[in-house]
Amino acid sequence: MDADGFIQIEELTKVYSSGPVEVVALRDATVSIGRGRFVGVTGTSGSGKSTLMNLLGGLDTPSSGRIRVDGRWISELSKTDLALFRRHTIGMIFQSFNLIPSYSALENVAFPLLFADVPRKERVRRAAELLCAVGLEGRSDHRPSELSGGEQQRVAVARALVNRPTILLADEPTGNLDSRTSRQIVQMLYDLRAEQGLTIVMISHEEALLREFADELVRLQDGTVLSQETLRGRP
Amino acid sequence: MRASDYIEHAWTNLWKKKLRTALTTGGVVIGIGSLICMFAFGQGIQRNIKDRFTELELFNYINVSPRSGGGARSARLRRHAQSQPAGDPNEPIAVLDDDLLEELMRIEGIEAAYPEMRFPAQIRLGTREQFTLVQVVTSKACGSAMVQLRAGRAYASDDANEVMVSDSLLRRLDIRTAEGAVGREIEIRTVVLDFSLQSLARMAFGRGDQRLPVSNRVYSFTIAGVLERMGFGGPLPIRSDVFVPPGAAAGMRKLVLTGVSDLFQSPEETAGYSAVTVKVASTRQVMSVKASLEERGLRTFALMDQLDEMQKGFIIMDMFLLAIGMIGIAVASLGIVNTMVMSILERYREIGVMKAVGATDGDVQKIFLFESGMIGLLGGVFGLALAWAVSFVINQVVNGFAAREGVPFIQYFSFPWWLCLGGIGFSILVSLLAGIYPTRRAARVDPVVALRHD
Repeated sequence: MDADGFIQIEELTKVYSSGPVEVVALRDATVSIGRGRFVGVTGTSGSGKSTLMNLLGGLDTPSSGRIRVDGRWISELSKTDLALFRRHTIGMIFQSFNLIPSYSALENVAFPLLFADVPRKERVRRAAELLCAVGLEGRSDHRPSELSGGEQQRVAVARALVNRPTILLADEPTGNLDSRTSRQIVQMLYDLRAEQGLTIVMISHEEALLREFADELVRLQDGTVLSQETLRGRP
Repeated sequence: MRASDYIEHAWTNLWKKKLRTALTTGGVVIGIGSLICMFAFGQGIQRNIKDRFTELELFNYINVSPRSGGGARSARLRRHAQSQPAGDPNEPIAVLDDDLLEELMRIEGIEAAYPEMRFPAQIRLGTREQFTLVQVVTSKACGSAMVQLRAGRAYASDDANEVMVSDSLLRRLDIRTAEGAVGREIEIRTVVLDFSLQSLARMAFGRGDQRLPVSNRVYSFTIAGVLERMGFGGPLPIRSDVFVPPGAAAGMRKLVLTGVSDLFQSPEETAGYSAVTVKVASTRQVMSVKASLEERGLRTFALMDQLDEMQKGFIIMDMFLLAIGMIGIAVASLGIVNTMVMSILERYREIGVMKAVGATDGDVQKIFLFESGMIGLLGGVFGLALAWAVSFVINQVVNGFAAREGVPFIQYFSFPWWLCLGGIGFSILVSLLAGIYPTRRAARVDPVVALRHD
C-alpha cells in the first residue's frame, strides 16, 4: 500500500441486500493510486469493477472500509457533500455514454456547469472549447442520435472534463466501440491526462488495451483485489 | 444553479413535450379559469351593489318612523320625549309633522329631511292602466342625485302640474321608449271617501256587498321626466313609480292609505307623515345622527347597520364559489402529479446523469419543482385569459337579453388586480404542491440504478 496515495482505498466492502439474500460485490479491497497515474482495472463480469468505480465516484457508499481522496475521507461525507465532491473532483464516463438524448452535443457538455453556478456565456465557451479538444468542433449542434458511438463517447469525455476535475473515472468506455475507435478514445484519455494532469481510473475487459496505456493494472476477481501491478514508473 | 437556469431548463424540458405540457396545462387553465371566473362574478356582484349604494349615497340615508308605543296616549314628542326611557309602552308616540321636521334639521349632520307621503292611484296613459302608489316628492329632491333620469327632466317647481314616472311603470303601460313618454298627458285616478246618500245607502243596505264608501277623482298631469329603475329601495326616500310635486298633491283629493295595515292603526299612530327619510352629510356621521334620533323616541333604519351583515354575506358567497372552483383545481392537480411522475420515469436516466455530474438531491428536486411551477404559471396566465374571455361572452349575452327589457348595461364580472395576480399565484402554488410528491421521488433516485436504467 502506498501511504502517500492520492486515492487511498482501505478494506472496502460493499454488500447488496435483496430481501434475505446478501450479495458481496466487493470484499476488503485495498488499492492505492498516486496523483496523475493512469490505472486500469480489469476483471471478469461480476468481479466488482463497477462497484469499485461507483464507490470511488461517491455515487454509492461502502458497507465497510473507507476511501480517501486527496486527504479527504469521502466515505464519511454526507449526501450533499458527496454531490459537491463529484461536481468539483470527479469526471465520469460510461460504457453507454449516458448523454441526454434531447440535448445537443454542446448542451450535453455544458450540462454539469449548470450545477456549478457558471454563467451561461462561460458555460458555452468552455463546452465549445472542450468539444474542440476532443475533435468535435463541427458537431456542437448535433444530438447524440446523430453522432457515431465514438463521437458520443468523445462528447461524454468532454462533459466529464468540463468541470475541470482532478480524477477521471471511466467505466468500460470502450465497451460499445469497435477496436479502432476504442484505441482512439483511450489514446485521447491518455493525452488528456498529460495535458490536464488528470488521475485516470479506467475499467475495461480489454486487458491488452489497458496494458498498452495504463501505468498500473488492478485485477479483481469475485469482489476481491487479486493484484495491483505497476506497468510503468512515474513519467 | 441560478434561478434563471432553473427557469430556462424547466421551459426547455416542457417545450420538448409540447403535447403533454399543453394537455396538462389545459387542465390547469380550465380549473383556474373557472375559479377566477366565479370569483370575478362574485366580485362583480359585490362591486355593482357597493357602487350603486355609493352612487345613490344609500349609506347616507336614515329612514325614520314613529316608534309604536302601544297607543295609550298621544302627545307631541317635544313635550315628553326626555321624560321617559325609550321603548316604554307608555312612551308618547312621536308625530312626524312639519314641526318635527324643522327640529330634525337642526341636528348636526342632517342635510335634508324628506317626509314620505304616498297614496294609491290608478294610472292611465293612452289606453293602458296600472295600479300603483303615487309619492309626493319635492322638486328639490327630484333634482338631486337620488333621482336618476333616463329621459326628460325633473318637474319645474313644487306647484307644477307635472309628474315623473319610472321606466318600469312605462314598460307595464306598454310604452317602449322613455323619450316617447316625455311630454305626454297622464291621468291619475285617486281614491276619495264618498259620503253621499247613495254611497251610504249602498253600504248600509247592500246584500253582502260591504263596499267602502269610496269613489274616484281624476287628475291630469304632463310627464316631465322618466326615472331609471331604482332597484334597491332601502332607506331612500324614493320608492314609487310616480312622483307628484307637493303643491299639486295638495290640490288633489285622495285617501292616504298605503296598505291594509293602515286600517288597524289608531288615529294617533297615523297622524303626521308615515315616515321621514333624513340625509346625513357624511357616512361618518350616520351613527351619531341615528343615536340622536333614537334619543327622541324615533325608530331608525340605516343601511349602514346592515354593512357588516352584507360583508359577511359576501364572504360566504366567496367561500361558496371557492369551494365549487376547487373541484376543478383538484382535478388539475392530479393531472400535474401524473405528468410529473411520467416525466420523472421517462427521465430516470437523466436524473442519474444529473447526480453523476454533481447535482445534489435539492438541485434535482428544484429542477422538477420549477417545471411544475412553470405549468402552474402558464395555467394561471392562460386561465386568467380564459376567465376574461368567458366573462366577456357571458356579459354580452346576458346584457343582450337584459337590454330588451330596458335594463341598463351591467358589468357582471370584476377582475381586480389582486384577483388576477392571486389567481396566477394560486395556480403556481397548487402546481408546486402537486409537484412535491413527484419531485421528492426524483430527488430520491439512486444514481447507480438510474445510470443502468434503460
